[in-house]
Amino acid sequence: MSLSSKIKEVILCLNAGRVTLPYPFEVKPVPERFRGRPIFNAEKCIGCAGCANNCPAREILVFDPCQEVRIIKYIGRRCTYCGRCADVCPEGAITMSKEFENSTGNIQDIQQTLEIFMGTCQRCGRCYSGQGPLEALMMKGYRFDNMDKDRWVYQSEAYLDKEPAVKDIDLELD
Amino acid sequence: MELSLRSVILGIINLVLMLGLAPLFEGILRKVTARIQSRQGPPLLQPYFDLLKLLGKEDIESGQSPMMQRFSAFLSLATLLTVSLQIPIGGQAPLGGQSDVILLIYLLTLSGISTLLAALAAGSTYSLVGMSREMMAMMTLEPLLAVAIVIGAVHTGTLRLNSILNGSVYASSVWPIAGLIILGIILFALQAFIGRMPFDTAEAETEIMEGPVVEYSGPKLALFKYARMVKLFVYSGLFISLFIPWGRTGFYPLDVIIFLAKVTVLVLIATVIAATHARYRIDQAIRYYAGLFGLALVALIFAVSGY
Amino acid sequence: MLKNLCKKMFPRSLWVYHANSGGCNGCDIEVLNVLTPYYDAERFGIKLVGSPRHADVMLCQGPASRATAKALKRAYEAMPAPKLVFAIGSCACGGGIWYDTYNVIGPVEKVIPVSYYIPGCPPRPEAILYGVAVALGLVDKKVSPVQLKQVELPIPNYHPEDLIGKGEMVVYKKMDHV
Repeated sequence: MSLSSKIKEVILCLNAGRVTLPYPFEVKPVPERFRGRPIFNAEKCIGCAGCANNCPAREILVFDPCQEVRIIKYIGRRCTYCGRCADVCPEGAITMSKEFENSTGNIQDIQQTLEIFMGTCQRCGRCYSGQGPLEALMMKGYRFDNMDKDRWVYQSEAYLDKEPAVKDIDLELD
Repeated sequence: MELSLRSVILGIINLVLMLGLAPLFEGILRKVTARIQSRQGPPLLQPYFDLLKLLGKEDIESGQSPMMQRFSAFLSLATLLTVSLQIPIGGQAPLGGQSDVILLIYLLTLSGISTLLAALAAGSTYSLVGMSREMMAMMTLEPLLAVAIVIGAVHTGTLRLNSILNGSVYASSVWPIAGLIILGIILFALQAFIGRMPFDTAEAETEIMEGPVVEYSGPKLALFKYARMVKLFVYSGLFISLFIPWGRTGFYPLDVIIFLAKVTVLVLIATVIAATHARYRIDQAIRYYAGLFGLALVALIFAVSGY
Repeated sequence: MLKNLCKKMFPRSLWVYHANSGGCNGCDIEVLNVLTPYYDAERFGIKLVGSPRHADVMLCQGPASRATAKALKRAYEAMPAPKLVFAIGSCACGGGIWYDTYNVIGPVEKVIPVSYYIPGCPPRPEAILYGVAVALGLVDKKVSPVQLKQVELPIPNYHPEDLIGKGEMVVYKKMDHV
C-alpha cells in the first residue's frame, strides 16, 4: 500500500486516455472471417434442403404445399451462426454476412422464407430452372387486378400471410 | 434560546445546499473514477437521474416487518440532514449554534443504527451479514470522531459546537501537536467514515453481497442511496470545519463557494484513493481502525496535557 | 407525478441484474465485456446491481432448464415494475442447440415474458450494446422479416376449389379470396 505506487498507477491510467469506443454511433469494421447472420439468396437456391438437413439446431424447415413449390423457412431464434448451412449448400445460395446487429423486440423479425419452384418437365422428368425475370413478365392466365380498390392482386396481404396455401394440410412451422 | 429569523434562514440554506449538491458530488466521484479507469464515465448528473427513477418505481414490501423498513428508511436520511443543520458552511452556524458535541456524536451514531435497523427489518441472510459487519465497523469508528471532537472541546473548554467547529483542535498554547496527530488520523480514516473503498465492507457491499439494503426497492432505496450521498457531504463538511477552517472572508456567499471548493478537493482525494484500492476484509479493517484509535488516544493525552 | 418522472428518467439510468439460468457462460463473458472500459456501458447510465429488487432490467442468458426455471421466475417476480427483460444469446431466444435435451424446458420465454431479443452465439459486446440502444430508442432496428419467391405462380394453383371450367376456358371465380 505504498503511496508512490498508487500515484504511478493513477498517472499510467490517465495517460491511456479514454479507450472507450464510440459505439453505437460509429462502427468499427469487423474482423475478416467473422460469421454473422446467414442471408438466403432465392435466385440460386435449387431446393435441395441440404441446409435443413445439416442445421444442428434444426432451424431451417421445409414444406411442400404442392408439386411445384417448396417453402424453406429459416427461423432465426435458435441459430448459432455456425455456418454449416453455407458450407453445405451446393449452389452457394447461403452467405454468412457480417451483420451482428440483429436485436429486435419481436422475434419473428429474423425469419426468412423462400418459395422455390421445383417443377420438372412433364415429358422427360428433368428438372429445369425456374423463371428468369423475363419469363416472369410473360405470365399466362387471366389477370384479376382489383380495379376498384386500386390493388395489384399479387401483392395483396392474403397471399403473403402464414396460412396454409392448401387448406387441408397443417402447416406447423414452429 | 435565540432563534432569530436569520439563523432559521441559514438553516434552510444549509438544507437546500445539502439536498441539492450531494448527488453532484457523487456524480463527480463516479466520473473521476471512470476517468481513472480509462473509460468515459456516466454523465455528471447521473445520480439525479438514478434517484428520480427510483422514486417512481413500485414499492415491493417484503421482509420481516415492513413498518420498521419504512421507519429506518426515513430515519437514515433524517439524521444526516439534522447533522447538516449544524455544520457551519459559510462560517455562520445555522440555528444559532444551539447544539453541542454530544448531540452531534449521537446523531452520527444514530445514522449508523438506522442502517442496522434497516438490515434487521429486512431479515434476509445477506442483510444480516452486512449488518454484523456494519456493527463491527461502527463500534471501532465512532470513537475516532469522538476523540477528535473531544480534543477540540479540551482546547476550548466548552462543549458548544459553534466554538469547536472552528479549527479549535489547533488552538493550543504551545505547539499544536495534538491537532496535527488527529488531523493525520482522521485523514486516514476519512474513507471509512464516508463508506467508500477500501473500507466498503459495510454499506455499499452491493458489489459483493448486496449489503444491508438488499430487500429494498423503489422509493425506500432512493432514500438509502440519498443518505449515502449526503453522508459524503456531511463528513467532508465536518472534516473541513474541524481541521481546515482558514480562508474565510466575511462575506457569506463567497464563504459558501470557498467551502464548496474545499469539499470538491476533498472529494477528489477520496475518489483517487477509492479508485486505486481494493476492498479490505472486515478483520483487516478493524485492526486498522483499532491501530488508529490507539494513536488517537496518544493525541488525546497530548491535548489534555496542554499541547 | 412521480410515475411520470420515473418514465422519463427510465431510459437514462437502467439498473441491470444478470441472471444465468443454465447457459454455457459464453454470453456471461460477453456481458461482462460490455462493462469493461472498451465498450463502456456506464456512459448510458447502466449499472450492474446484485439484487433483483434494485434492478430495472433482467439480462437472461442460457435456456430455461428444469433446475433453474423456478428460480428464474422468482427473480422476475422480485423485480419492481416497470421492468424489462432482455434475452441474450441464442439459448435464451430460442433454446439454442440444446432445445431438445433432457433438462432444457425451452427458451426463457416459456417462463417469463421477454421484451427484447439479442440473438448470437455469443453475441458480440457491440451487438449487446446495439440491442440496449434499440431498447432505449437511440437507434433503429435493422432486421425485418424477409420473404423471397423464385416464381410467381398463377393463383389457381393455390386455390383449386375456386376454378370454374376446364382446359383453356378455366376462369378463376372469386376475386376477394386473395
